[in-house]
Amino acid sequence: MPDFSFIFAQSISGLTAAMFLFLIAAGLSLIFGVLRVLNFAHGTFYMLGAYAAFQFMQWLGPGRGRFWLAALGAAAAIALLGGLVERFLFRHLYGAEELYQLLFTYALVLVLGDAAKMLWGTQQKSVSAPPELGGKALSLFGATIPYYNLFIILLGPVIALGFWLTLQRTRAGRFIRAAALDRETLGALGVNVDALYTWVFVLASFLGGLGGALISPMRATTPGMDTEIIVEAFVVVVIGGLGSFWGTFFGALIYGQVLSFGILFFPRFSIFAVFALMAAVLILRPWGLLGRPLK
Amino acid sequence: MHRRTLLILALVLLLPLAAEAQKPIKVGMPMPLSGPPALFGDPASKGAQMYVEEINAKGGVLGRKLELLVRDSKADANEAVRQARELILKDNVEFLVGTLTSAEGPAVSVVAKENKIVFIAPIPKTDQLTAPDKLHPYIFRVASNTTIEGRSAAEIVAKWPVTRVATMSFDYAYGQDVTKAFVEHLKKVKPGVEIVDQQWPKLGEQDYNPFINAQMAKKPEAIFSSIWGGFFVTYSKQAKALGVFDAIKYHFIGVGEAATPETTKSMGADYPVGIWGNSYDAFYWGETAAHKDYVARLSKYLKDEYPSSWAIQGYIGMQFLAEAIKKANSTDSDKVAKALLNLTVETPVGPLTIREKDHQANRGQLYGKTVKDAKYPFAIMKPVTYVDPTKFMD
Amino acid sequence: MRAPWELALLAAALLVPALGSRFYTFLANDVLIWALFATSLNLLVGYTGLVSFGHAAYFGIGAYTTGLLMKKLSLPFLIAFPAAGVLAGGFALLFGFFCVRLTRIYFAMLTLAFAQIVWAICFKWNEVTGGEQGMPEIPYPSLDWMGRLPLVGGLRTSDHFYLVTVVLVALCLWVLRRVVGSPFGRMLTTIRENAERAEFIGVNVRRYELAAFVLAGAFAGLAGGLFGIFNRGVFPDFAYWTKSSEVLIMTLLGGMGTFYGPALGALALILLNQQIVSYTEYWPFVLGTILIVLLFVFPGGLAGAAGTALRRLRRAA
Repeated sequence: MPDFSFIFAQSISGLTAAMFLFLIAAGLSLIFGVLRVLNFAHGTFYMLGAYAAFQFMQWLGPGRGRFWLAALGAAAAIALLGGLVERFLFRHLYGAEELYQLLFTYALVLVLGDAAKMLWGTQQKSVSAPPELGGKALSLFGATIPYYNLFIILLGPVIALGFWLTLQRTRAGRFIRAAALDRETLGALGVNVDALYTWVFVLASFLGGLGGALISPMRATTPGMDTEIIVEAFVVVVIGGLGSFWGTFFGALIYGQVLSFGILFFPRFSIFAVFALMAAVLILRPWGLLGRPLK
Repeated sequence: MHRRTLLILALVLLLPLAAEAQKPIKVGMPMPLSGPPALFGDPASKGAQMYVEEINAKGGVLGRKLELLVRDSKADANEAVRQARELILKDNVEFLVGTLTSAEGPAVSVVAKENKIVFIAPIPKTDQLTAPDKLHPYIFRVASNTTIEGRSAAEIVAKWPVTRVATMSFDYAYGQDVTKAFVEHLKKVKPGVEIVDQQWPKLGEQDYNPFINAQMAKKPEAIFSSIWGGFFVTYSKQAKALGVFDAIKYHFIGVGEAATPETTKSMGADYPVGIWGNSYDAFYWGETAAHKDYVARLSKYLKDEYPSSWAIQGYIGMQFLAEAIKKANSTDSDKVAKALLNLTVETPVGPLTIREKDHQANRGQLYGKTVKDAKYPFAIMKPVTYVDPTKFMD
Repeated sequence: MRAPWELALLAAALLVPALGSRFYTFLANDVLIWALFATSLNLLVGYTGLVSFGHAAYFGIGAYTTGLLMKKLSLPFLIAFPAAGVLAGGFALLFGFFCVRLTRIYFAMLTLAFAQIVWAICFKWNEVTGGEQGMPEIPYPSLDWMGRLPLVGGLRTSDHFYLVTVVLVALCLWVLRRVVGSPFGRMLTTIRENAERAEFIGVNVRRYELAAFVLAGAFAGLAGGLFGIFNRGVFPDFAYWTKSSEVLIMTLLGGMGTFYGPALGALALILLNQQIVSYTEYWPFVLGTILIVLLFVFPGGLAGAAGTALRRLRRAA
């Protein structure tokens, strides 16, 4: 029987992974909920966020506060990229078949992914953890929790809450929720739905880019991280419920723990477990944990 | 009239031969050039390229220049096979020198066998590449192999004051074989040792936290890891953050070249200084004049004052090929294959010989404990020893 | 009644080895197998309106089946090849049963989930599938009998296998052509256009969709069985989702509105790839840009564009 400190440590690592996934999946869920499109390129925004953070760090140099600046700068840059893509390219495909919209997002994966290789080369990049948090760890219940992990675990719910409050309480949030339900009526009421869609894309891209920037001190920034993460994001969004915000949050939590403890119970097939879970959800309850039941 | 005709005839007959002599000897090199494996693959291809340029400057081999065609195999067996076949069928290469992972090597070996193309593997280590059921006349290896590496590491760990040992390796041919060799030999030379935990993340894993936690829960006193390349960078960063190295008092040995200058350089201050590791080469080793000269040339070629340690394997691979072609006095595959058997080449790390039994060269590696050195902005192995592989080769 | 140009294409395909280039034969072999794979997917996407993100699962199952039977059990190709179709079709039946109960994006996600499950098993079941190393060295079928044939007797084994591929792919495509032209096929098109209306007139939509799913999976499996041998090795990324997206792109590129569109897409993509990689390593960038341009300019894909162009020419004439 594994001791408690081990279980605790394992659940912490599951939580950390979950929070990163939440950042990416939240954006994916948002775009799906409002624009009704599964954005394959979201993983690429995440990857570009990591590369942008690396680049900003190169320019800013090491030092206190630099990392946070770099992370925010990276997220903003990716948000801008997302906005431009939506405004000038994606917008023209709204009338087209769903399949073509999907194909477009996949084409973006190809183009932007290679653009990253052109700009930063093919070798993996490494970013150091911010000095304020790096190198120090908390010892809790016998488990070692690096400060940076703790920060990520606390940041996740904070962003989730902030997001949710925005959606519930602000005018813009109400418009976003309305657009998810009925675009035409909202337009008829005089709201500039086109601009709204752009802002949704911008917000989603910001989250994705931020996720990539924040994960760069922990993992490698390398080609191929986009195609790896997007499938994981799909799993999360499916488990939580496509289009449901809190569903994504809990879906990410579940995914993180399954992966973490999966290696204990079925070490060889922990990857299998994740996809089996995704299939099970789709078979038994396709709308996920907190999604809206299908007609 | 007759004389002129004869002269023209002679010229016509000789001309194609001269053209034939000018045609370069094409060598195909599938090598990972992107992603975490590129940390090792990219310099390996550059080492090969440097040798090719050096030999071509001296007139080439048998009067013909060598031409190296490098292709990105993405460290994927399927891609490596595809690239190798296109190199053979489209680019008409006469030889293959390349591949890095122990999945790529055996897969390309099959292609080489079917097409009767001599294939020199400079990096894949799995024993399976030259195992009796996989051996064929055209496969040769100038890399070390998992038996040599595992046993060399076991001898080092055996000297440590530890009894609880854990292993962390990728779940594929290389990780499995080198860990098996390590465990078997360690149990032989230090019978009291207990393997308390073994973790098998998938090749390419980015999140090692669950594996690290599971491993540390078993309270190991020493860890043997074969996580390599850019993956080691990620693993060790995460392990360091979780306090692994402090917990085991740095009784950590990272085979898979965890102590190469590439790795320590790219990690900078994040590197867990104090661990043991190995490397095929190190620019600071400097034992022989030949090596010093090679490092000087490499440094100039790569425009790097602390040149890569991986270039050597590409270099040695091409060296053996060139020497074999010279010895065979031909580029015919069968003749070159025969010439490679028992061939001894004076490489920058000393003389190496490919033995007939399994087409394996007696390639050992440098082992050492990493320390901070005032001379360099990154950790180095000190003292660094070349472990002779002969006693480990069955 | 076969259109003469189809027979001409078949003859041209059979004559490729006569060009004397091992590489051209290699490419042609590649194109043929992918053409079959893409056409099988089109049965789902173009004819039934079901977009699958996980078609590579059946391709992979077919490849591993043939590979395992021929390599580990030394069974002849005559058994191993149909077995690929049977097993792939069987799994398509199992997975499809659940998939067809869902629509659109949920259908697509479930096909993806099943494909990733197949991939995970192939990737990790080291003892059986070889794990990450895959199964290199798949034997060629015993083609000695071809050595005794006139004309082709003197060719290499790889050329012999190519000719076998031509015949088998042509056969499979012929069968699929008959399927889509049959009442069953027409019903699929009706379902694609309006599934609700089909339900109203008493059609068991789900059963038809499942049948299409199984057929598509079976033929993808046959393509996989051929590919494993052609590729000289079977590897887990045959079932990975990026393989599914490759074949989907071929289908869309070539045009999912026509039967031969996907095959055309396969040819175009493979040839384009060959051309581009000789100039630049940034093939994905070029491909992505082409796709985006096509999306905005030629939504019907290449075949659609060709069809439109032909119609315009005919009208002008």
